[in-house]
Amino acid sequence: MVALARKTLIFEWRRFLPAVVAVGFAGLLQLLQAALVLGIFSSAGLYITGSDADLWVGFPGTQSVSLGRPIDPDLEMRLRMDPAVAAVEPFDWVDADWRGARDTGGQSVYVIGLDPRPGGLLLSRVLSPALRARLAEPDAVIVDRADTDKLGVGVGDVAVINGQRVRVVGVGHGLRALGGVNIVASLDTARRLETDPASFGRPTFLLAALSDPSQAGQVATRLRNDHAFGPYDVWTASAFSRRSIMYWMLDTGAGAGVVFLAGIVFLAGAVITSQTLMAAVAGSVREYATLNALGVGMRNLRRVVLEQAFWVGAVGLLGATLFGLLLLAFARSQDVPVVLNLPVTLLCVAVAMALAAISGLAAMRGLRRADPASLLR
Amino acid sequence: MSAPAPLAAPRGTGPALCAEAISKGFTSGKLRTQVLDGLSLSIDTGELTLISGPSGCGKSTLLAILSGLQPVDSGCVTALGCDLGTLDDQALERFRLLHTGFVFQGFNLFPALDALEQVELPLHYLGLSRRQARERATQSLDEVGMTPRMHLRPGELSGGEKQRVAIARALAKHPDLLFADEPTSALDAANGQVIIDILHRIARGHGTTVLCVSHDPRLVHHADRVLSMEDGRILSDRRPAPPALLSRGATA
Ligand SMILES: Nc1ncnc2c1ncn2[C@@H]1O[C@H](COP(=O)(O)OP(=O)(O)O)[C@@H](O)[C@H]1O
Ligand SMILES: [Mg+2]
Repeated sequence: MVALARKTLIFEWRRFLPAVVAVGFAGLLQLLQAALVLGIFSSAGLYITGSDADLWVGFPGTQSVSLGRPIDPDLEMRLRMDPAVAAVEPFDWVDADWRGARDTGGQSVYVIGLDPRPGGLLLSRVLSPALRARLAEPDAVIVDRADTDKLGVGVGDVAVINGQRVRVVGVGHGLRALGGVNIVASLDTARRLETDPASFGRPTFLLAALSDPSQAGQVATRLRNDHAFGPYDVWTASAFSRRSIMYWMLDTGAGAGVVFLAGIVFLAGAVITSQTLMAAVAGSVREYATLNALGVGMRNLRRVVLEQAFWVGAVGLLGATLFGLLLLAFARSQDVPVVLNLPVTLLCVAVAMALAAISGLAAMRGLRRADPASLLR
Repeated sequence: MSAPAPLAAPRGTGPALCAEAISKGFTSGKLRTQVLDGLSLSIDTGELTLISGPSGCGKSTLLAILSGLQPVDSGCVTALGCDLGTLDDQALERFRLLHTGFVFQGFNLFPALDALEQVELPLHYLGLSRRQARERATQSLDEVGMTPRMHLRPGELSGGEKQRVAIARALAKHPDLLFADEPTSALDAANGQVIIDILHRIARGHGTTVLCVSHDPRLVHHADRVLSMEDGRILSDRRPAPPALLSRGATA
C-alpha cells in the first residue's frame, strides 16, 4: 500500500506546519489552563491534601477549611478513645491582622496553629520536619516564600499579629492559598494570637490518623453519630478536600469564570486548528477528487485525511508537551500554583486530537460538496 | 455505423456509451444556464472519439455526465449497458473503479509520490496485491515510455511526462472506458503529439473506448470520430478516416 498520508506529510511538511503549530498551541493552551485551574483549586484543598490526617472533624456543614468554626475540645478525648484512631491533633485557625517589619500596612492573614512535634499531621507534606521543629520556639511563625514581599518580612524579622509580636523563623514553599495569606505557627502561638473569645480553648478542627486508613469511611460514619459533644461532623480527608474544592468552584463564582475561560480557550483552539488543517487538506483536494473519479471511495479518502490529522495532532502535541513541561517548570519556580495529573493531561490530548480529526473531516466535506467536474478541469 | 478496420476489436456488442435526451443546467444566483439541452449520442466500443467545440459549450459537463461524475437533470445515460441513473453514489464509485480511467488537463498527481507510486495507488483500492499492483504499474509506465523516470516525483518531471504518468495511472486499471478532458491543452506541440499518439494506441491496442474532449485541432486526425459541439448541442458527427488509418498502420 502506498503510504499516501505520511508521504504527503513528510514531502509537503511546509503546508502542514501551520496546522501542526496550531494543534500544538491549542493543546498547550488547554494544558496550561487546566494546570492553572487545577493548581488554584487544589490550593483550596491545600490543608487537607498537604496533611497526613485520614479524618477531619469540624463544625457541621463546614464547606471549606477557611470557613471552620470552633468545636468542643472534649471531642479530642472522644476520638482518642476510638480503637481505630492512632493519633489526634487539634488545628486552630485564627483570622488575624498582620503588620510587617517594613511598612506594608495592615494585612489580613490566616494563622494556622499546628503541632510542631515530629509526627504532627497538619501540613506534614508541605513543611519539612526541621522547619516544623523551629515552630516550637514561642511566637515563631513560618510564611510562604512567595508572600515575603507582600508581608514585608524576611527570615529573622519581627512582625506583629493581632497586636502581638511574632518572629519569622523560616519560609515554606507551597503554602499559598486562595483568598488569603497563610501564616503557620505552633498551636500554643496560635492560641496566644486568638482574639475572638468564642474561640478561646476551642479548636477549629480535629485531625485524626487511623491505624488502618482504608477504614476511614466506616470510622467516619461511626464517629459521626455521637451527640454527646455538641454539634460536629466527621469527614474523610478526600471527602473534605472535594467539599472545599467544590465550594470554591461553585459557590464563589470562580468556577464559572474558569469554565468560561476554558470555553474560550477551547473555541480559540478549535478555530485555529480547524482553519489551518482544513487549509492543509484542501491543498490536495484536486488529487483526492481525481482519485475519487478513478473510483477510490470517499471512505478511503477520509481515512487518508484522518491519518494525516492524526500525525499532525501527534507531532503538534509532542511539541506542546515538551514546551508545556518547560513552562510548567518555570511556573513552579515562580510559585505559580500549577498542578497536572494524568487523567486531565490525557483529556486535553484527546480533545486536541478530536479537534484535529474533526477539522480534517470538515475539509473532506468540502470535497464531497464540490462538483467533481469543476475540480477536474 | 460500421467499424472502419478489423484491427479495432470491439468488446461485446452495442455502444459503450449511450446518452438519450440528456439535459443539464446550472443555477448560480438567479441566473440559470442550460448547458446541455436534450442531447443524444452513442459512442462505439473501442473507438477514439473526439468531442471538440469552443470553450464553455458544455464539453466537460458532457464528459462528467457520461463518466458518472455528475447526474443529469433529465434523460438517460447508459455506460457499458448499465443505466447510471439507477446507481447511488457508492455504486457509481464502484462502477468507476472497475471500468473507467480519467486523464485531466491539470494532471492532478500527488506531489509527494513518485511516478510508480502514483500509478500503484488506485490499484490497491481495486483489490490487487502489492506484487500485482507493482507489475501492472511498471507495465503501464513502460507503455507510455516512462520506465526510465518512474522513480521521479512530479516536481522533477516535465508537463508531457506528468501527463504520461497520469495516463499510465488511468491505464493500469485496465479500464473499458477512458475519459480525457483537454489532455493536451497544457502542453506544447511536441508533447501534445506524444500524448495523442499514446491515447490513439490505447484505443487500438487495448480496445478501450476513449472519449476525448478537446479544442486541439491536432487531435482531429487521430480520432475515429469527431463530434463538434456548440451551445450544448452536437452540430456535426464525422469520421476523418484516412489519417487515422495511416496512423493505425504505423502502430500495428
Ligand atoms: N458547477 C457549475 N456551476 C455553474 N455553472 C457551471 C458549472 N459547471 C459548468 N458550468 C457552466 O456550464 C458551461 C459549460 O461548461 P463546461 O462544460 O466546462 O464547458 P467546456 O468544457 O466546453 O469549456 C459554462 O458556461 C460553465 O460556466
Ligand atoms: Mg472544459
